[in-house]
Amino acid sequence: MRVSRQARAIRQLLLPAARALPWRAPAAGAGLGLLILAVARIVDSDPAPWLAAVLLRCAILADAVGLAFLMDDPARHTTATVPTRRALRTAVRLALITPVTALWWTAALLLVPSQARPPAGALTLEAAAACVLALAAGAAAVRLTDALAPGPSVAAAFLFTAVVAPLLLPDRWALFVAPGDARWEAAHQRWAGVLVGAVLLWGMCLPEPVRRRPGALRVRSPSGTSDPSRTW
Amino acid sequence: MTAVLDGAPVATRDAGRRSSWAAALALALFEARRLLLTLPVLLAFALYVGWIVWRTPDFQDGYPALQDADRAGQTTLLLVGMAVLVCVNQAVLRAKRRDTERHFAVLVLPRSWRTAAHALSLVPVVLLTAVCALAQFGWSALRSGAVGSGSPGELLVGPLTVLLFGALGVLLARLVASPIAAPLITVLLVLMLFVAGGFPAGDGERGLRWLAPVVTEASSQTLPAALLDRPAAWHALYLAGFALTLALLAVLAGGGRGWMLTAATAGAAALAVTGGVLQCAPVGADTKAARERASVSPEKDQTCVRHGSSTYCAFPEWTARTESWADVVHDVQSSAGGTARTQPLVVRQRIDARHGLTGDAALEPSMTPHQVTVGTAWGGNRVPEFSAAVAAVLVAGDEKAAGSLCDGRMVTVMWLALNRLPDPMTSLRDVRLDDSVSGSAIVLSPTNPMSMTAGQTDVVRELLGRPAGEIAPRVTAHWAELTTPKVTTARVAKLLGVAAPKAADRCE
Repeated sequence: MRVSRQARAIRQLLLPAARALPWRAPAAGAGLGLLILAVARIVDSDPAPWLAAVLLRCAILADAVGLAFLMDDPARHTTATVPTRRALRTAVRLALITPVTALWWTAALLLVPSQARPPAGALTLEAAAACVLALAAGAAAVRLTDALAPGPSVAAAFLFTAVVAPLLLPDRWALFVAPGDARWEAAHQRWAGVLVGAVLLWGMCLPEPVRRRPGALRVRSPSGTSDPSRTW
Repeated sequence: MTAVLDGAPVATRDAGRRSSWAAALALALFEARRLLLTLPVLLAFALYVGWIVWRTPDFQDGYPALQDADRAGQTTLLLVGMAVLVCVNQAVLRAKRRDTERHFAVLVLPRSWRTAAHALSLVPVVLLTAVCALAQFGWSALRSGAVGSGSPGELLVGPLTVLLFGALGVLLARLVASPIAAPLITVLLVLMLFVAGGFPAGDGERGLRWLAPVVTEASSQTLPAALLDRPAAWHALYLAGFALTLALLAVLAGGGRGWMLTAATAGAAALAVTGGVLQCAPVGADTKAARERASVSPEKDQTCVRHGSSTYCAFPEWTARTESWADVVHDVQSSAGGTARTQPLVVRQRIDARHGLTGDAALEPSMTPHQVTVGTAWGGNRVPEFSAAVAAVLVAGDEKAAGSLCDGRMVTVMWLALNRLPDPMTSLRDVRLDDSVSGSAIVLSPTNPMSMTAGQTDVVRELLGRPAGEIAPRVTAHWAELTTPKVTTARVAKLLGVAAPKAADRCE
C-alpha cells in the first residue's frame, strides 16, 4: 500500500522535478569534460596512456564539479514540511541525472582513442566515486546548513580537495596513479573504498533533520552564505 | 512664489567623485577582509605556509643556491591563486545570488566602481603572498651555506600569479554571471598545469611556454646566476600587465566608461604584450657564449683559493664554499699514506651549462692528473660523492682512470672516502646508486660513476665496522701495495686484516 503510494508520488514528481532540476551546471561541467577530450583528440590523435588518463580525470572532475550543484533547491524551506520525504525527492533527481551521466561517460570514453584508453572498468570506478562524492558533499551541505543553494561552496570545497589530494596523499594511499603503474590495482581498491564511503555519507545526509538546532553548523562559505538566508 | 538664491549653487560633482573613491575603498577593504577569511583561501595559505616550513630547511640539502631558491615556491602559489580565483568570483556574484543588485543600484557606487573595489580587494591577498614568498626566500638566504643571488623578478612571479588569477575571477564574474564558471575554469587551469608540467621543456628554453604564469625547468642542476638567463623581469612585467588588463576589462564589463579607463586598459595590454613578446625572444648570443665558456674552459671565469697545499677553483659565487671542500680533502688525505698524504690537488668546480636548464648533462671526467671535479650542489649525498672522487683521484691519479678501477684498489678508495665522515655506513648507502650496503653497485661521483663488486662491498663494510684507529696504520703501512694496479680484493683484505671475499673481482 505504502509502496504503491510512493510509486505514484514518484510518477507525479518526475516531470516537475525534471523541470526544476538545476540542469545548467551539470550540463556545463559535462560539456567542458567532452570539450577537453575532443580538443585533445584533435590536437593529438595518439596520446600517451598517462596523458589519456589525466585528460579523462580532468573530464571527470569537470563533470563532478557540475554535479555538486545538483542538490541546490531554492524551495527547500517551503518543501521541508510536505509529506513526500526529501530522500524520495532526491532519489527522483538522482534517477533523472544518472542515465544522462552514464551516457556522458560512455561518450567521454569513446572520445579517447582506443589504443591509449586506460582500463575502462577502473576509470569508470573512479568516475563513479568522484560523482557520488560530489553528490554526497552537496547532500551534506544541505543537511548541515540552512543554505538554499550551497552549490558554489560545495564545488569550491570539492575542487580544493581534488587539487590538494594528489599533492598530499602519501604514497601508500595513492589514488591518482598512471596506467601501468604497479600500484594500479591497490589504488582502485582504495577508489572502491571512496565510492562506498561516499554512498554511505550520501545516505546519511538524505533525511530532512527533525529540527534545526540554533547552533547548526554554520560554515562560512566562499560566497559568504554563512547566516540563515535573508531572502525568506 | 519665487525664491531668490543667495549665492550660486555649489557644484557637487567633485564631492560625488570623492565620495565614490572613499566608498570604493571602504568596499574594497571590507571585501578584502572577507576574501582573506574564506575557507578555501585560509586553507590554501595554511598549506602554503606548512609547505614552506616543511621544505625550506631541507631545500637543496641545506646549502641553497639563491638563484634557485627565488623560484622554489612559485608552483605551490598556483594553489593559492586558484582558491583566490574561485572565492573572489563568488564574492562578485554574491549581490546577484542574494538578489541585492537592485538595492546597490540606488547607492552611491555604480556597478563599475563596485567591480573596481572587488579588483582592489585582491591587493591584501597579493601582499600577504609576497610576504610569504619573501619569508621563504629570506629563510634560505640567511642560512650559513647559502650562495648566489636571487632575482626580484622571480620573487614577483608568485604574487603576480595570484593577482592574475584573482583578476581572472573578477572578470569571469562580470562576463558569465554563473557560479559554475569559476570552478570550471579552475579545472581547465589544473589540466593546463598537469599537461604542461608533464611535457618536457621541448627544444627551446624560451618560446611560447613562457606564456604560462609559472615556468618550471626540466633540469634540477644549479647554474651561476648569470648563466640562467631566465627572462624573469620581462615575465613579471607580462604577468603584471596581463593581470591589470583583466582587472580593467572587468571594470569595463561592469559598465565603466570614459577615455581614461580605455586608455589605461590599452596601456596595460601594451605592457602585457611588450613583456610577453620580449620574454619569448630566443636566448642571446652572449649568454650562449658565456655558457660555452663556463662549460669548456671554466678557468677563465673562476677564482682560485689555496687551503693547505691544494688549490680550489670555483665560480665567484661559490668561493665561500671552498672551505667545506677543503675540509673533506683534508680528511681524505690524512687517512692516506705515501705521497698521497701531501699530494697537492686542484679541486675545480665544473658545470655543463651548454643546454641551459633544459636538461641535465653528465660531466666528462677530467684527464688532468690530480684534478678533482666538484659540482654546484653541496650537502647531503654530494659530500660522500665528492669524498669518493677525491679518494679515487689520490689512488688512481686522475678521474678518467678512476672511472675504470676494477680491482682491490676500489676497497682503498671507498675506505679513504668514507672512514672520516660522521656516519660511514649511512654515507656508503647514500653514495651507492641503489642505496644498498651489500651486493655490487654503482658508486656515484661528480663525474662518471665507479663500480663496486659484491666482494669489495663486503670488505668495505667490514672495514667501516672496525674502529678507524685499527685500520689506519695498516693502510699507511701497506699504501704502496694497496694502490698498485691489478691488486686483488682478496690481497687487500688480507693486508688490512679482514676476511677475504670468496668471489674474484669481476666488473660488470
